[in-house]
Amino acid sequence: MAKFILLFLKLLAILYTVQAVFEDQVGKFDWKQQYVGSVRFAHFDNQIQSSKKVLVATEKNVFAAINTRTGELFWRHVDKTGPEGNIDALLLQGQDAVMVVGDGRILRSWEVNVGGLNWEMVLDSGSFQSASLVGHQEHVKYVAVLKKAAISLHYLSNGHQKWIENLPESDSVDYQSVYSEGKGEVFVLGLVPHSHITVVVYSIDDGEILKQFTVEAPWMPDLQSSCSVIGKGMLTCVDAGSLSLNMLDLHAHSEMNQIPLQSIGLEVSSGFRPVLVSSQPNAARPPLSEFFLQIGPDQHVLLQLNKGQILTLRDFKPAMLVSFATTGEKTVAAVMSLILYINLFSAETGRRLLDTTLIFTMDPNGGKPEKLYVQAFLKKDDSVGYRVIVQTEDHQLTFIQQPGRVLWTREEALSDVVTMEMVDLPLTATQAELEGEFGKKADGLMSMVLKRLSSQLILLQAWLSHLWKLFYDARQPRSQVKNEVTIENLSRDEFNLQKMMVMVTASGKLFGIDSKTGTIVWKHYLDNVPSNAAFKLMVQRTTAHFPHPPQCTLLIKDKDTGLATLHVFNPIYGKKSHVTPPLLPQPILQSMLLPLMDQDYAKVLLLVDDQYKVSAFPSTKNVLQQLQDVASSVFFFLIDANQGRLSGYRLRTDLSTELIWEVVIPAEVQKIVTVNGKKANEHVHSQGRVMGDRSVLYKYLNPNLLALVTESTDQHQERSFVGIILIDGVTGRIIHEAVQRKARGPVHIVHSENWVVYEYWSTKSRRVEFSVIELYEGMELYNSTVFSSLDRPHAPQVLQQSYIFPSAISAMDATLTEKGITSRHLLIGLPSGGILSLPKMFLDPRRPEIVSEQSREENLIPYAPELPIRTEWFINYNQSVLRVRGIHTAPSGLESTCLVVAYGLDIYQTRVYPSKQFDVLKDDYDYMLISSVLLALFFATMISKRLAEVKLLNRAWR
Amino acid sequence: MHIERIPLLWLLLQATLVVTWGFNAEMDTGPSAGAFAQSNSDRFKIEGRAIVSGIKPQDWVSSARVLVEGEEYVGFLRTDGSFAVNDIPPGSYVVEIISPTFRFEPVRVDITSKGKMRARLVNYIKTSEVIRQPYPLQVRASGPHSYFMKRETWGWTDFLMNPMVMMMILPLLIIVLLPKVVNTNDPEMRKEMEQSMNMLNPNPELPDVSELMTKLFSGSKGSSKTGGSSKGARPAVKRR
Repeated sequence: MAKFILLFLKLLAILYTVQAVFEDQVGKFDWKQQYVGSVRFAHFDNQIQSSKKVLVATEKNVFAAINTRTGELFWRHVDKTGPEGNIDALLLQGQDAVMVVGDGRILRSWEVNVGGLNWEMVLDSGSFQSASLVGHQEHVKYVAVLKKAAISLHYLSNGHQKWIENLPESDSVDYQSVYSEGKGEVFVLGLVPHSHITVVVYSIDDGEILKQFTVEAPWMPDLQSSCSVIGKGMLTCVDAGSLSLNMLDLHAHSEMNQIPLQSIGLEVSSGFRPVLVSSQPNAARPPLSEFFLQIGPDQHVLLQLNKGQILTLRDFKPAMLVSFATTGEKTVAAVMSLILYINLFSAETGRRLLDTTLIFTMDPNGGKPEKLYVQAFLKKDDSVGYRVIVQTEDHQLTFIQQPGRVLWTREEALSDVVTMEMVDLPLTATQAELEGEFGKKADGLMSMVLKRLSSQLILLQAWLSHLWKLFYDARQPRSQVKNEVTIENLSRDEFNLQKMMVMVTASGKLFGIDSKTGTIVWKHYLDNVPSNAAFKLMVQRTTAHFPHPPQCTLLIKDKDTGLATLHVFNPIYGKKSHVTPPLLPQPILQSMLLPLMDQDYAKVLLLVDDQYKVSAFPSTKNVLQQLQDVASSVFFFLIDANQGRLSGYRLRTDLSTELIWEVVIPAEVQKIVTVNGKKANEHVHSQGRVMGDRSVLYKYLNPNLLALVTESTDQHQERSFVGIILIDGVTGRIIHEAVQRKARGPVHIVHSENWVVYEYWSTKSRRVEFSVIELYEGMELYNSTVFSSLDRPHAPQVLQQSYIFPSAISAMDATLTEKGITSRHLLIGLPSGGILSLPKMFLDPRRPEIVSEQSREENLIPYAPELPIRTEWFINYNQSVLRVRGIHTAPSGLESTCLVVAYGLDIYQTRVYPSKQFDVLKDDYDYMLISSVLLALFFATMISKRLAEVKLLNRAWR
Repeated sequence: MHIERIPLLWLLLQATLVVTWGFNAEMDTGPSAGAFAQSNSDRFKIEGRAIVSGIKPQDWVSSARVLVEGEEYVGFLRTDGSFAVNDIPPGSYVVEIISPTFRFEPVRVDITSKGKMRARLVNYIKTSEVIRQPYPLQVRASGPHSYFMKRETWGWTDFLMNPMVMMMILPLLIIVLLPKVVNTNDPEMRKEMEQSMNMLNPNPELPDVSELMTKLFSGSKGSSKTGGSSKGARPAVKRR
């Protein structure tokens, strides 16, 4: 019976905190955007004329089918990250897409229509060189995979290996490409750099070496970048040194035939390395005898190989990108000129096809076009039509139809969001007017009254026009109502639920996204960002200081050199600010945003360089004056993860620094993984917790507390450990230290209020475990008005408890609300794609093992070792968010509501209500019921009144 | 009812534990060996099949994945629902089939350094417990995920069947309707009613019910008659 009661209580507690999405809320305030990453290979599905698929394999190890009508995904397969999931090659044959994955480790074939796997084969180890479809007697039946030391041939139908052969002299010869033209032979081309080319010919049937010969080529550094097979087995290489084409007939092994480019009237731009572009539309037939030769940064020549002679078909002088496309029996060449016109040319003759001009309008805030993927199709009158996908440097894909209509764009840069901020939207002009009224100095009673009246009139007018718009929209069919989001109509709503999401991506493209609809309001491509940059985004001025525009600063730091640049911009419009940021000649070690403001209400950013000198931005006189005043209370810390050194510094009035403490964690034993402070915009509402006996347990709320996570360098599962150190950032005092033995990372940590939650992998039990540390001052508060790190003599009480979590974790954060009254939930991104909202109540070190009257009074859930995962707690229901990299939480104007953005491969935005919507009417509030009850009551009183009157009258008559 | 069944199930599980296989001694070395065997030579594959009864695999495989130990190894489903995750060193792994629509139970798969495989139920608390599952894996979907809470809907029947409302409405009906049904002006009827009232309250000197109750609870043992009445009242309360 006691157990029953216990269970019942537990259930009750769970029900009490339950928070879930209702089915009718789907898509109401949440949205998801799916991405695939920067495209590496793209193939149009051309097997049927009406097909609307484009298959892409990306740098993010994703293989997906995109709908060419809408730009949305049909399906998507996400492999593991890192080199083991890396897609080396993608070949498309009919309904099958063959992929080589993980440096030639796995060969996969996909069914393109369904998106399911046909087969998967593990190949022998060896670094991957090249893969090619092999045709035989007009049918493509095999795929050849060339590795460093072996070549293997597999059946396309089931992946089984037909044969595998070792390559001769593979330790000296670098075999780089494989070629076949459907004649029962497979050519393998190898190279000894700066010496000779080796050609090995295998028989398709049994892998027997039919022929083997070498050709002198002392000038050739690399086969793949300079050679290509053209026409009927003519290996054509371009020599950048002597500026000539070298041709070798693979069937008749002869010497290389050199044709100087000047002899066919071509002039190569000085210093440019010519590049060959050829095409083999069908693996069972020889490649085209036409090819492009790029002889300058913006010059391409279409050449034809005709009976051993090279003919120039056409010279494209300003041509940025070229591409071949085949439909049916026709092959065309698409050429993009410098002024971004795309034209189609017949590949055989080089003649321009009529009415094939397509205009690509480049975004001034985007990057340059990088790749061109052409989908050609036959029109009814047998002429060739086409559509193109243009890929630009900033990973944007644009699908264009003639004569330049953009069908869709995909911002694949958003698959790699590094950091983000949510910025309040500005007030509308009328709202700003109203606000302004309170700020101004009083100037006479009469004018104040007049001003008040006029502003009320403006409000009334705005309200009326709003009503009119509602009425007008209601009359129109729903599809016609345009709800376009533009910069002009963006304004703060009454609960501040709509915000501007400023997202920074690894490619250096910045985005401003409206949080309500997910519309990209602005984008800005920074083209000089180093590839290994670290970003830090800071909001220097919010929208609250009306005449001054809001201001964000992005610190871009090269991870190798430490050199940094600042990009200052307006987060609402995306425009670069007029404020010129300081040049930073020295490597930057640390940056911090102080709560100090200059006369224009911009917060002061301090940058510490490697000479331990501090510079401020903005650095006006006013700021420097303020800095001098507060210098003695400005502390900062630096981490040197390599040496395991954590050091604390204090600012001097002359903006130099002095070392005040240093903690060394021996780097031979353990390494620092993360250092986690508290969020600056976090509010804690209650100072303590009321216990069962009505006493108060006060929280230890140290704003300077840092949580330091270390991992052992010894990875042996018996000796590895995870350490956590809580350290005061001002004094360097170690508040608490805990070690989790037989554990290893990856460690995810959330540090907030008076608690730290961290997660690690237990090697002993092979499971994920959570641990929570809570810090309390005790029953009495030392100094309740202000917290000072320098004056806290008593060490806090530390409570800790651990739990089992039945899943791995990809990211973790905690909800955040305006005033911190609402109970906290942990938001946990799972590898399955769900985002779990786990009440912090479950991670409470005071959860008792034995239920007592007091713990029940406190609403503590009895301890259970395993934390529950319930799909009802997934805030994103079936909208899986894959590879969650970070979860950003921001408070809204409503205390009950927290805005959540999860980003990774996908972006998902929603609102959560950790304690339900206690401050607004629920969205299922039944207005009909309440009004009908009121009306009914009203009529009932009327009728009963009348009846009573009649009765009284009757009685009086009696 | 459900709640009480859970411990029972537990017992059953533990009972099955007693009759598990003599595989343990060998297995315990398996995972630890797995940690070292990072070399490329000993790599194995986990095979199995996922089944959703009543639904063609083509309709759901494109959105599903097989995750081994989080995202450490990833496998994909073939168009017939079968799968194989390649290139896995010896060790012990939790294999999950992830689908946004269907729920599959995870399975723990142990691979010895010799490549011997076995599958068992996942138990994070008693990690060494072995309840065998078939290998190659046969994972059946246990139904669709339930992501949504049900809205509290408002219906007339719910409202009327509410005990509070019933308690309010029934006396109201009696007060309003009874005088209408029974003609009080009829002297015969009035007489009858008075009689019945007397029947109900035969002795006006007897204490009324409330007084009786106070007596009962103040400690003085009531007569056998009151005891019986209280007994009769209790089940009635419980029933509600």
